[in-house]
Amino acid sequence: MSSRLLQFTSRDRQTPEKRGVDERRGDFAEIFQDFLPQGATEQAARCSQCGIPYCQVHCPLGNNIPDWLMLTASGRLEEAYGLASATNTFPEICGRICPQDRLCEGNCVIEKDFDAVTIGAVESYIVETAFAEGWVKPPVPRLEREQSVGIIGGGPAGLAAADRLRRLGYRVAVYDRHDRIGGLLIYGIPNFKLDKHVVARRVDLLEEGGIAFHTDFEVGRQESLEALRARHDALLIATGVYDARHVTLPGSGLANIVPALEYLIASNRKGLGDPVEAFDQGGLDAKAKHVVVIGGGDTGMDCVRTAVRQGAERITCLYRRDRDNMPGSQREVGHALEEGVHFEWLAAPEAFLGTDAVGGVRALRMRLGAPDAEGRQAPKPIPDSAFTLPCDLAILALGFDAQDMSAAFEEPALKLTRHTTVKITERSMMTSLDGVFAAGDIVRGASLVVWAIKDGRDAADSIDAYLLVKSANGRADVVAAE
Amino acid sequence: MSSFIKEWQANAELLLRHGLYDPADEHDACGVGLIAAIDGKPRREVVVAGIEALKAVWHRGAVDADGKTGDGAGIHVEIPQGFFKEHIARTGHVAGGGRLAVGMVFLPKTDLGAQETCRGIVETEILNFGYEIYGWRQVPIDASVIGEKANATRPEIEQIMIANDDHDHDSEGGGGNGDAGDAKFELDLYIIRRRIERRVLEAHINDFYICSLSCRSIIYKGMFLAEQIDDFYPDLKDDRFESSFAIYHQRYSTNTFPTWRLAQPFRMLAHNGEINTIRGNINWMKCHEPRMASALFREHGEDIKPVIQSGSSDSAALDAAFEVLVRAGRSATLVKTLLIPEAWSKEVAMPEAHRALYSYSNTVMEPWDGPAAIAATDGRWVLAGMDRNGLRPLRYAVSSRGLLVVGSETGMVPLPETEIIEKGRVGPGRMIAVDLVEGRLYHDREIKDMLAADKPYREWVRNITELRHQPGADAALEARYEGAALRWRQHAAGYSMEMLEMVLAPMIEDAKEGTGSMGDDTPLAVLSKGYRGLHHFFRQQFSQVTNPPIDSLRESRVMSLNTRLGNLTNVLDEDASQTDILLLSSPVLTNADFIDMRERMGDSAAVIDCGFAADGDENALRDAIARIRREAEDAVRGGSVHLILDDSHIGEDRAAIPMILAAGAVHAHLVRNGLRTYTSLNIRSAECLDVHYIAVLIGVGATTVNPYLAQDSIIDRHRRGLVGKLSLEEAIARYKQAADQGLLKIMSKIGISVVSSYRGGYNFEAIGLSRTLVADIFPGMPSRISGIGLAGIQRKVLEKHGTERGVDAEPLPIGGLYRYRAGGETHAFAPALIHMLQSAVGSDSYQLYRKYSQAVADLPPVNLRDLLDFRPLGEAIPVEDVESITGIRRRFLSGSMSLGALSVEAHETLAIAMNRMGAMSCSGEGGEDAERNQPRANGDNANSSVKQIASARFGVSAAYLNNCSEIEIKIAQGAKPGEGGQLPGSKVTAEIAALRNATAGVTLISPPPHHDIYSIEDLAQLIYDLKQINPVARVSVKLVAQAGIGTVAAGVVKAKADVVMISGHSGGTGASPLSSIKYAGAPWEMGLSEVNQVLTLNRLRHTVKLRADGGIRTGRDIVIAAMLGAEEFGIATTSLVAMGCILVRQCHSNTCPVGICTQDPKLREKFAGTPEKVINLFSFIAEEVREILASLGARSLLEIVGRSDLLAQVSRGSPYLDDLDLNPLLVQADPGEYTRYCSLEGRNEVPDTLDEQIIEDVATSLLAGEKKQLAYSIRNTHRAIGARLSSMITRRFGMDVLKPGHITARLRGSAGQSLGAFLVQGVKLEVFGDANDYVGKGLSGGEIVVRPTVSSPLAAHKNTIIGNTVLYGAIAGRLFAAGQAGERFCVRNSGAVAVIEGCGSNGCEYMTGGIAVILGAVGNNFAAGMTGGMAFVHMSETKMRQRINQDTVVFQRIESAHWRALLRSLIVEHGEQTDSRRAQRLLENWDVEQDRFWQICPKEMIDHLEHPLSDVALAATQLAGTGD
Repeated sequence: MSSRLLQFTSRDRQTPEKRGVDERRGDFAEIFQDFLPQGATEQAARCSQCGIPYCQVHCPLGNNIPDWLMLTASGRLEEAYGLASATNTFPEICGRICPQDRLCEGNCVIEKDFDAVTIGAVESYIVETAFAEGWVKPPVPRLEREQSVGIIGGGPAGLAAADRLRRLGYRVAVYDRHDRIGGLLIYGIPNFKLDKHVVARRVDLLEEGGIAFHTDFEVGRQESLEALRARHDALLIATGVYDARHVTLPGSGLANIVPALEYLIASNRKGLGDPVEAFDQGGLDAKAKHVVVIGGGDTGMDCVRTAVRQGAERITCLYRRDRDNMPGSQREVGHALEEGVHFEWLAAPEAFLGTDAVGGVRALRMRLGAPDAEGRQAPKPIPDSAFTLPCDLAILALGFDAQDMSAAFEEPALKLTRHTTVKITERSMMTSLDGVFAAGDIVRGASLVVWAIKDGRDAADSIDAYLLVKSANGRADVVAAE
Repeated sequence: MSSFIKEWQANAELLLRHGLYDPADEHDACGVGLIAAIDGKPRREVVVAGIEALKAVWHRGAVDADGKTGDGAGIHVEIPQGFFKEHIARTGHVAGGGRLAVGMVFLPKTDLGAQETCRGIVETEILNFGYEIYGWRQVPIDASVIGEKANATRPEIEQIMIANDDHDHDSEGGGGNGDAGDAKFELDLYIIRRRIERRVLEAHINDFYICSLSCRSIIYKGMFLAEQIDDFYPDLKDDRFESSFAIYHQRYSTNTFPTWRLAQPFRMLAHNGEINTIRGNINWMKCHEPRMASALFREHGEDIKPVIQSGSSDSAALDAAFEVLVRAGRSATLVKTLLIPEAWSKEVAMPEAHRALYSYSNTVMEPWDGPAAIAATDGRWVLAGMDRNGLRPLRYAVSSRGLLVVGSETGMVPLPETEIIEKGRVGPGRMIAVDLVEGRLYHDREIKDMLAADKPYREWVRNITELRHQPGADAALEARYEGAALRWRQHAAGYSMEMLEMVLAPMIEDAKEGTGSMGDDTPLAVLSKGYRGLHHFFRQQFSQVTNPPIDSLRESRVMSLNTRLGNLTNVLDEDASQTDILLLSSPVLTNADFIDMRERMGDSAAVIDCGFAADGDENALRDAIARIRREAEDAVRGGSVHLILDDSHIGEDRAAIPMILAAGAVHAHLVRNGLRTYTSLNIRSAECLDVHYIAVLIGVGATTVNPYLAQDSIIDRHRRGLVGKLSLEEAIARYKQAADQGLLKIMSKIGISVVSSYRGGYNFEAIGLSRTLVADIFPGMPSRISGIGLAGIQRKVLEKHGTERGVDAEPLPIGGLYRYRAGGETHAFAPALIHMLQSAVGSDSYQLYRKYSQAVADLPPVNLRDLLDFRPLGEAIPVEDVESITGIRRRFLSGSMSLGALSVEAHETLAIAMNRMGAMSCSGEGGEDAERNQPRANGDNANSSVKQIASARFGVSAAYLNNCSEIEIKIAQGAKPGEGGQLPGSKVTAEIAALRNATAGVTLISPPPHHDIYSIEDLAQLIYDLKQINPVARVSVKLVAQAGIGTVAAGVVKAKADVVMISGHSGGTGASPLSSIKYAGAPWEMGLSEVNQVLTLNRLRHTVKLRADGGIRTGRDIVIAAMLGAEEFGIATTSLVAMGCILVRQCHSNTCPVGICTQDPKLREKFAGTPEKVINLFSFIAEEVREILASLGARSLLEIVGRSDLLAQVSRGSPYLDDLDLNPLLVQADPGEYTRYCSLEGRNEVPDTLDEQIIEDVATSLLAGEKKQLAYSIRNTHRAIGARLSSMITRRFGMDVLKPGHITARLRGSAGQSLGAFLVQGVKLEVFGDANDYVGKGLSGGEIVVRPTVSSPLAAHKNTIIGNTVLYGAIAGRLFAAGQAGERFCVRNSGAVAVIEGCGSNGCEYMTGGIAVILGAVGNNFAAGMTGGMAFVHMSETKMRQRINQDTVVFQRIESAHWRALLRSLIVEHGEQTDSRRAQRLLENWDVEQDRFWQICPKEMIDHLEHPLSDVALAATQLAGTGD
């Protein structure tokens, strides 16, 4: 079959149809259409079928990308779905929101000279076909086990663990403090990247598979961690990180300077039809405003593009390094530029101007210093280069820190790292509490969804190993973290 | 000198016990022949001619450094009764009237007690049979003519003389010299000899040997040079030594230890060549033994067993089998037919009676297959015979004075040309014989007619039940397993998605095995953490040097998978019961075939379940094996004629015994109990899917194999629409075809053509299987590194069996064995390492390189060397005190990769980088642009300093060979040893075509063997030729590691090689079958250390450089290789990585995205490699070597070469293994007074030839540019005439500068081998007489004319005038020969024009250019694999159709005026050059004769012809053209 592959020398890269800028600026719908069958087959067939698939090497999940590309190119979609879902609990989500240009596609062997295979789009195509054909099945186990696992946090890490544990036959309960299951997938990521029905569809399947969801459940408030430990044979902490990093500058205390997540959640809730007071009062609505977003990561891009769709007057993104050094996906930057966002690269805020509410941002031009050991260039301010941007809404997208879970759970025995993330033993993923595991951002700090999925799956395997031993000899062999 | 013997024995003992050396691996080859008086009357002349002939084949043997110790020679003649009777009279006895018998006996020399014991045994056994002994005679010898080594091992040589007093009162004898009486005496002497041999063995005496014990003939042999035979044995000078025949033999051994008993001839035959199937033959002989009985042996039937004594050479074993069959009452001619049959099953022109004879032979005996020229006698018949493939030369002449002279070369016995009435060659599978009683010469056809008429074979073979595949039967079958059940079984059988997609899918879609590229960088099976099927522990053996692999595709006529099933009877019988068997056309059965066969078997078959309890204790597998052995034995004893081992009864609680274990265990058990020949052994296996698995099953004894789960998997794919438009029947048929072809290929790799001789031959080497397990289940299979045993296998099987915990829907594991996959098998070229190395060489960062090197060291173990670490030599020293980077780098090579595999850019970059460093790059097989011979304007030199010469000889011309400092003969390559290759037309660009003398767009085929190396003495000849064509270049020989390579290397060194290169199995490739990449060849650690041990043992190590390559990645690898004996190192794949290779492994797809392994100009633009990056790599590695040396306290690399005592094993692999002991690798042989590295300056020189004289005669005039005509008398010992002269001309003027005919040499006599090799333009050789093999090898523009002397009475076109393999790899020039050529005429000719008058089989094979005109008949398989050039043959239509191989060519009568005119002009020229009467006659009747020619044109060439084949077609197209 491989004769049908290796077409990259003769066939150019094509992405699925992207909606026009004018059209997509006006709504929150996803900007890419799905591949048509012909396009997916042809694009998948560009794969070089490498002896070392760097796409897979650089995929946190180790997805068998060349193999499902081969299957897609050969029209064997059901098998392709089988493979794609074997390593990835939510391939439809990764296909949409993974920064492929930094992971699989960015490391595609033919990327350098021929442009990478459109891996993400093919992945979405495979999974959407699978949904349409009814190949996607709820996680119903072949045999039920008596033991149960409680999962704190219904985001990607928690759900990935839940799915896997359920397939292995455990009883699984997920606790989340929000009113919907999905975590950042629901509230953090804007619809134009990930439509909410995609998440809901998956959550429904999980529920159908027998996973119990408890929303509006905050550990430490509704029930103590102690009580959950007593109820379940194992627990998984997968709460994610939500505490926005702040910046302390002159004028930081002015109104209408908001953290990114607060802004995005409000927008997402509005999209879901929830009443959001702060939005309705205008504080979180960018409509007709001069918006300045500070930070060049993926969250920053989500903010600027949300602001576009809310009808902002002018949107500017401030970032202290240059475009090449932006941490966010270049592809997202590209979309933002297309959609009319202004970028001030090599610029850092010096002060927020205004009396009650913010009215402007004064910024300094930067230059990049010599590269450090890791090759990263530290930005240095250029003296006397200050300039001012008008600003009615400043959004800080500077990253997130972990909440002190030990305090939140009122469990002093739960050890944390110096970054206040939860401390685990690396191989077993167990925290300092016996039978309590942790995964996702709350362990590794703010990161990509794909890493959360990976951690959730690994944690599930660790929990499985732990529970097998526990049921066999009534005690655990897995050692708790120091 | 006796110290040599002691040291040798001590070393050999050490290596045998602890090292890698096994004397059973030793090979020999040689020159052979016979002289017979056709009237059967003894003549002195015959003996003299025999001795004379021996003196003319010295160059086919080897000489030890002392110049006197040969590898052995001998002669077999009639007993001069008078001579011995006179001796008896002198001792005071009176000899009786009948024939006395003489025993030629080697007795222990120094141990007088043993000597006396032996005498006693001999006498007792003779007396016990009632014969009278005349006494012992000390054979006069002249020990001064033999070398010291030979003398040191010389036995006491005596003759015992026995009276045939029995014959007088033998009722059948009739008195006097009655034949019947002699026959009985002779038979008794045979039994007596076997009884003596047994008793001596029981007495534990080693140095005893009976050369001959007969009343008819006697054998004089020993360890002298052939020409010394009559000096050593003055008896032979006695005029009373008269004989009606003489069989003579000159040996060339891979060993240097003089072993007298291994000299030939043996009791019945002398053999040149090698029996490839020897292991299987010996095993089957053992199997036949229990039922072997003949009335003739009376009550002594058991005395003759074992038929083959342990420790026999292949030739000795063949002789033993030959002898027992003769003694049981068959004629030598019939025994030859049984043991070494012609290829008959596909021979359409064979008479029905002959076919029946062969078909009968096939039911009785497994052929002894391999290159074989034999000269044999049974007392009545004297015959010379050839193997089925014609792989040895055997020329004969019949003189008008009634002599038949046969030998490896023509001219060995000079006969006056006027007396020669016939000159010929013994063709493939053929014989020529003399019946001494009748006094008549028999040609092959007459012999076969006689044999076929002797018994009612046609009637007998009707008993054979042939099972044929029923078309449609498979498609009609329901799948046994589908859906979830299939998936579960696939899981349980260890299938992965990769196996289904990369192994199974191509077998279905392309009807052949899948192709891959680059090397195998995964761990040896024994080092892997994952599950590896048992077949992963078996490495395929392959031919190199001592015998040739076969091309199973183009020479399919000699291959056979015919499989007989049933109860094999007494091989000594001759009756109809022997043919009551089932016959299959292949041992691979589809499910329908199996069901059909099962039905035929009915109650005569027993089914044995091969499962074991998954929850059993740690002995569950062991117990299960004991059970199936017991059940098998009971069944056979109970009368079952067929056994079926079946692994399908498995479930969650029941796992399958790996079927290789089951098959091997039952086979070995039945053999041990003498039951194997009573039954067939049929295997139904789930795990069996690929060709290697099938081959292993058959190799360990299975009769048939049914891969049933593979078939169900095909049905599943078919149902899912994955096989395209193929019907299910077709899909299965293609899979089976691929399996059959793959099996043939694996057999052909080791030179075996018939599956019955491959079966049970253990033609594998086990790596990492427990020695105890191998000894029990696969007895006799080499296994030098122990490893996993039954307990470990059970554990692995159960681990895999239990993976399916509750998860239904999971797809099969992804795999990762062929390509890297996350979570799959470890790959040494890990992704992160590649990036790290590329950054390091790109940024010139040694720090980063060290990080890389450390990361390589931190990988899980992949290679054996990863279990080793260093022991310091002494205190660490400062790095500054170690030899320089520059010094170390000179020992590096960048591998041998051809232009064609690599892009020009990559190829040149490597050469430039290596030249800048003073290191070496190798051209690879594919020629090199002459433009690169001159340094470039910027000072860069892109000329590869090593030029490769491989089997296809692409671009190998006089100029190519003179622009290098070393010539590498590639015998094998690590990724596909024993195989050829094919470059499809689509990849033959104009540039590549130009370099290879081919046509762009036309397929190029590389044959599996070098057609001038079928045997070790042939390699010696090629090395000789190369040292003639380049007077200064060293010659290296590239071998691939495998068990037994040490002795091969010793032979190579004796052939005067200067460098021996040992490649590991992991070496790279541009394209190879996947199973070859994975399963052929051994790690270089094993090969290198074996070679180093054996060369040191034989005191040869210091005369040759040793080189290692295959997966060397770091300085650590280099130091380990050095300690194991290497002093030079090849680093190929890693140097590609330095140039940007990222292991995409699509080299075979022409889509290399980094422009390295591709010819696509668009992709070549992407090449980003630079010489600097390559230099950085090699410099880093050298620097790392320095650091390691410093830490060990060594100042130079040479200091540690061969110092395996500095290595220690630091890991013994997984805990569940039996002891994984690497000490055999680390054993050191004592080098005595010599160095452990090459201390030779310059090269190992070879003797001069006629060219020394020619050059002296032309030197001055040549310089002056004058024409010259020379004349010489020549003999067959004048070899490679013209090569040295051509070198001189090439170096001074260029190879195509002189005008044709500038120098003409007229030569009278028989020219030695390689006449006119690489002869360049301007030189013409005119031979009046004849010539041997390899005429015009690599012809580079010169002219060669061979014609009979004017006085010869021969009808030239009916006789043979030139030998085998003529114009091999010829590039340009002309050859005219007035007579026939031997086998493989014009093989791989790419440009020479030749006219001859007939040729043997395989003519014009693989030809890609030039013109061959053949004015008479050609042999079988003409034009096989011919993809270029043109041939004209004068032959009848029937014969043409029978003999041409139409796979790649079309043939037609000549239909074009252009071609007709060309043909005529060549015939005219032939007539002028040779005075050919044939040419004259054809031209006289041209009107008629021109229509009796066939024109043979390669299909692919038709569109490239400047002049179309047909004027009609031309006219038609022109017409069509004008019509538009």
